[in-house]
Amino acid sequence: MTLSNKARRRLMIFVMVAPAFVVLFGVVVYPFFYNVVLSLSNMSLLHIRDWKIIGFDQYVKVFTEPSQPDFYLVFVKTIIWTVVNVVFHVTIGVFLALVLNQKDIRGKGLFRAILVLPWAVPQLIVALTWRGMFNYEYGAINLMLTQWLGVEGVQWLRQPLEAFLAVIITNVWLGFPFMMIIALGALQSIPHDLYEAADIDGASWFHKLRHITVPLIRPVMIPAITLGTIWTFNNLNIVWLVSNAGEPGDQTHLLVSFVYKAAFNFYRYGYGAALSMIIFFILLAFSLTFMRRSNVTQNVYS
Amino acid sequence: MMRSKSATMVRLTASYAVLVVFAIIAFYPILQIINISLRPADRLLSTSLELIPENASLDNYQELFTGRPFLVWLGNSTFVAFVVTLTGVALASTTGYAFSRFSFAGKKAGLLSLLVTQMFPATMLLLPMYIMLVKLHLINTYLGIVIMYSATALPFCIWQMKGYYDTIPVSLEEAGRIDGASQFQIFFRIILPLASPALVITALFSFMAAWTEYVVAAQILQDTELWTLPVGLKSFESNMTSEWGLYGAASVMVTIPVVILFLSLSRWLVSGLTLGSVKG
Amino acid sequence: MRPKDILRLSRWPAVLALVTLVSASAFLWNGCHRRDDDKIRITIWHQDRIDVRLILQRQLDRFMALHPEVRVEQLFKETEELRSGFIIAALAGQGPEIVYGPSDQVGPFEVMDIILPLEGLFEKEWLEQFDEKGRIWYKGHLYQLADKLGNHLTLLYNKKLVPVPPTTDEELVAVARRLTTDLNGDGKTDRYGLAWNYTEPFFFIPFMTGFGGWIMDDQGNPTLDNPGTVGGLNFIKQLRDVHKVIPNEADYVVADILFKDGHAGMIINGDWSWAGYQNAGLDIGVAPLPRITATGLWCAPMVSPKGFSINVNVSEEKRPWVIALIRFLMAEENQLESAKELFTMPTHKAVQSGEFVQTNEILRNSRLQIEHGRPMPVVPELRAIWDAMRPSYQAVLAGTMKADQAARNMQLMALRRIKDMNE
Repeated sequence: MTLSNKARRRLMIFVMVAPAFVVLFGVVVYPFFYNVVLSLSNMSLLHIRDWKIIGFDQYVKVFTEPSQPDFYLVFVKTIIWTVVNVVFHVTIGVFLALVLNQKDIRGKGLFRAILVLPWAVPQLIVALTWRGMFNYEYGAINLMLTQWLGVEGVQWLRQPLEAFLAVIITNVWLGFPFMMIIALGALQSIPHDLYEAADIDGASWFHKLRHITVPLIRPVMIPAITLGTIWTFNNLNIVWLVSNAGEPGDQTHLLVSFVYKAAFNFYRYGYGAALSMIIFFILLAFSLTFMRRSNVTQNVYS
Repeated sequence: MMRSKSATMVRLTASYAVLVVFAIIAFYPILQIINISLRPADRLLSTSLELIPENASLDNYQELFTGRPFLVWLGNSTFVAFVVTLTGVALASTTGYAFSRFSFAGKKAGLLSLLVTQMFPATMLLLPMYIMLVKLHLINTYLGIVIMYSATALPFCIWQMKGYYDTIPVSLEEAGRIDGASQFQIFFRIILPLASPALVITALFSFMAAWTEYVVAAQILQDTELWTLPVGLKSFESNMTSEWGLYGAASVMVTIPVVILFLSLSRWLVSGLTLGSVKG
Repeated sequence: MRPKDILRLSRWPAVLALVTLVSASAFLWNGCHRRDDDKIRITIWHQDRIDVRLILQRQLDRFMALHPEVRVEQLFKETEELRSGFIIAALAGQGPEIVYGPSDQVGPFEVMDIILPLEGLFEKEWLEQFDEKGRIWYKGHLYQLADKLGNHLTLLYNKKLVPVPPTTDEELVAVARRLTTDLNGDGKTDRYGLAWNYTEPFFFIPFMTGFGGWIMDDQGNPTLDNPGTVGGLNFIKQLRDVHKVIPNEADYVVADILFKDGHAGMIINGDWSWAGYQNAGLDIGVAPLPRITATGLWCAPMVSPKGFSINVNVSEEKRPWVIALIRFLMAEENQLESAKELFTMPTHKAVQSGEFVQTNEILRNSRLQIEHGRPMPVVPELRAIWDAMRPSYQAVLAGTMKADQAARNMQLMALRRIKDMNE
């Protein structure tokens, strides 16, 4: 490669990468460092304008301050919430994409349109609708349970475990279409002849799935899974709406609820920033591990 | 031969069963929302399982279009979402390509830093974001909001494009080079069309990032005429007494464009000029 | 197909690039273009529902007709966002000139120094035209001028089902028992005597006060561990588990639907809900919440005024217009207009003693209820109280905690929360 070619290549990389990063860092850098400073400060209701740096006190408080609900319990719940959601999003999404991707299925357009609805509809009203469906006496779910299956209705919203289950069900419903769309896209990158060759070899359905489909949709699915995990970990909306801000008895919360309450209910900005930093480091540690494990920065064909 | 025929039958029946079950699960809550929009007197819930509410009427739709500036919000949101989509597609398709094909200093760090931008709880970013936008004179402008939305959508879009480009064999590019195409031509004429499923996902994701976002819009847009759909919809929901009928009607109207967009882009998502038909 | 063929086939990326260019330039022009007139702009943020917004707009239009040099805009914000959004904007030196809302926002806004003291901006005689409860003083300064009193809970009853509203807790139980029936004989209750959002602490206050308790002392220290808390909690539990006259599970939305659909004869709800029930075709009556026989006390809801505060960032030059606007909106005829359409209690003394307020049935009863009620504290610590009450209260309802234990927990948690807040 000649020097001019090399230079041209560099220029091209720069032109391709720079605009996105300028936009991104222009927006992210200032707020991020603002929060780093805030997390080391005592900014709160009484020190909203005259705040000063006080060191790591807020971080210490996050881990030691007695809280209701218990910080560590909520942390565990957040992890369960994240894992269960992402697992169901991905398995249901990929499964439906595989079904829809078969050549001889009719009415694909219609099915696709209906299956994408949970993703397309405004979340607030749908979350409240789900809350209504979980009502003990009048909710559709209990009515179906009692009338069709003849089992006892479940007190979805009054018991902690059931309420947690209810928010997870709602969020799984909301999230699978997105993974389905990604998987549909990813499946298009698999050359048909690979399957044909496998058929000639008499490979089973499962064999093809494991040795052709999964490895080849991985490069596209891994970023979606990584980011899906990060988003789910921090996604307060659905939990907040379906559990009516943490009911029963403040037991249905995620870690970000603490951030939200600290900032908006109690005006504890320093504390909120410190907790945000901790959440940030947790997610950073996860991403680094996951990415190294899945080797996603490598090109599959190289 | 007989066996394979009956195997096909079983496979098809099972497939349709799965699709129908999931379609019902997906559609039932939506049906409830349609129901809400048809009920009189803002009933968010119903005490019965009936599919069409008693005294159903289209009054909420009429009020939505004639009594409220819904069409203005629709126009604003369409504009913002359209610009964000184009920005997202333009920036993510190029950046993703660079990350997939070239090796350069800071590549890994760059990829990771994209993820990093998504990890911080949004709640705490609101105050500094607002201060920053005040300093840049971007409060109450679409420019401010488009920049914010693009920044939100880009990390996923870039990663996703990169992942898809990774599945396209480099040999195709080399074939193009032998045919005398420049690097730029290869990208535009060979790689981009092959990556159309990923472009569709990028477009849909960027569009939705703008179409549904509420918190930032509520903080930045301080003029009723500039409101986007989510902010407008929120105005139906006031302390305790909410106009659920209108909210339901508006939700239905907001969903339709997304489904139309999805269906019209599906062509490039699942068929046409894809790798499946090129390789070999 | 070979790459060469694709080369010819695909023109659409180029088209896309072109469209991007065109629309981006169109957008830049549009995005930077802001309405620029030389009028004085005043913005009001509020959290009111649509019918209130329409009345406000009429009044603003009249004001602008009187003052053509001013342009006033109202902007709706959801309650929480009104508060957090105003704090964020005001700390950044921005925000609306006027913020209109319930009086409890005065506490945090004062501490953060983002609203102006008003006593120097309006003359004393003018201020004295208004009910004392509508002038919100905090830490020695006047911070809010209210045009409405209320936001208070009352007992609402469906006149078709309840001819005479109960006045004591015993009557309440008796009426509710009579109403609670299984209409179709399937073993499930189809109509309840009473329904309300009973999982939310704000809706618990009337029962706490009826049994002789209150949330804090005059210095703002919590007093949640009191006999009123225990008595109120047990009373509600009894309604549900012994008398079985309220639904097993009810939040705001569920209670609202039950009452609208005639599946509940009575509901405890605020003055904001009346218009909605009338629109739903219900013949409703408003009655004061009952008296608790054991204590002889009326169930007293929280009463909070709603009014105007001025952003600390308003420039000296703009102030005269902002003041003129508040004076205009507080005026007799405008308060009367709101009272007639919304049945809200005005703060202007002349309107309060005027014919309409004195003779209207709903307002008469509403007024009785306000007289029984207790003013909502404006201190920021109120947030901590709500937050401390919720978990233990709901634990009692779920049957996992005894009432006296809950009262103790609430108190401990409130103390801790307040300490955290004032770090």
